[in-house]
Amino acid sequence: MAKDAEPPVNPFAAHQRVLRERLHHLLATIHSALYADVVRALEGEGKLLSPSPTGPNPPDSQKPTLPAGAWPLLTLLVAQSISPDIDPLSASSVALAVECYVCGIDLLDDVIDEDQTTTLQALGTARTLNVSTALLTVAQQALLSLSQQGVVPALILRLLETLQDSALVVAAGQHRDVLAEQRSALEFTREECIEIATAKAGSIMRLACRLGALCAGADDALCERFSEFGELLGIAHQLDNDSHDLYYLLQGNTSSLAPMETGTHIVHVKSDLARGKKTLPVVLAAQIYNTTFQKSSLQTDQEKEEYLRSLREGIIATWGICLLYRERARDRLQEIEAQKPVVSLLRLLLGFE
Amino acid sequence: MEEQMIQDFVHRVSRDEELRKELASDPNAVITREGFSPRVARIIARLVPMLALDQSLEPSLYWWH
Repeated sequence: MAKDAEPPVNPFAAHQRVLRERLHHLLATIHSALYADVVRALEGEGKLLSPSPTGPNPPDSQKPTLPAGAWPLLTLLVAQSISPDIDPLSASSVALAVECYVCGIDLLDDVIDEDQTTTLQALGTARTLNVSTALLTVAQQALLSLSQQGVVPALILRLLETLQDSALVVAAGQHRDVLAEQRSALEFTREECIEIATAKAGSIMRLACRLGALCAGADDALCERFSEFGELLGIAHQLDNDSHDLYYLLQGNTSSLAPMETGTHIVHVKSDLARGKKTLPVVLAAQIYNTTFQKSSLQTDQEKEEYLRSLREGIIATWGICLLYRERARDRLQEIEAQKPVVSLLRLLLGFE
Repeated sequence: MEEQMIQDFVHRVSRDEELRKELASDPNAVITREGFSPRVARIIARLVPMLALDQSLEPSLYWWH
């Protein structure tokens, strides 16, 4: 095989192997009827058991992909950054609590949003909901299993409390997102969109970092710095998704778009947007579009042109705000590293190399 | 507030042909004149290809870059 045809080395392979072995151990007590579906969910795109783990993306890759199990890797690498000698079994158990929790939440999100993911298509709604329940329970069991590894009960309780707190914040964020479907985009502000992104993606990545820091014995100040770092990255991640979803949609045939209400006018977007999701680029575009219509009377062609221009402006502004949150995360990481550098794999995972 | 600065600048460039041309020909001069903080200036510089040169949005970051 020519050298340039060789698959890229996966720098996370050793960590992924440890996590997978521990995950199979944690799932071993689940009844076989449920086990198969749980494993199927954990084989979904980007999940720890997904079939093709990858490293950093090739330079010509249009759509970057995360390494399999990016969430537990994040928790594990935060823990190892703080305490390089941490017991791998304990750290893996905490990391797997995050993997199962995120997978369970993702399944609920897919059902709520009616996303036709491969898992939801294969399992149907009823089984997907049950698998989600199982995964959220396994997440707690993973933390409880720490008692078999000599972890003190007070720490286990604190880890469980952190997980529960996060679950309530995420549920509230999801609920606000669903309720938002019934409101006009013009009723929203940028701040409210970012609040929802903070409650959803922000709080999940906050949790992944916080649990890693807690289990490694970080003091309160360091736990908070890692938590804030995770939250900023999570918000950036959400805004990145929102701007690209709309951007790629606009690259397609705009005549096939479904209606979206902006005040007294009807414009067209589809998918998430057709459900009435009030993502930041949509809210910004609606405000710009509405302001323009208040200023002038436009012909049909002008109306469409103005609508597309407003969407493009909303996308670029959202992308800029995404970069801002990423810069803030980078600053927070520098503050953390001023005390002690994080492991290079963590920087690689997050793209801060 | 940095979010508002970015939003306002994107809006102005989108609506002002002269500013867009100036940004395309000499982005550093425009960014310096606007008096952005170093952090916002870095972000605006990264937006220039999309704002002034009509280039595609950069690929999704996911967690990378």
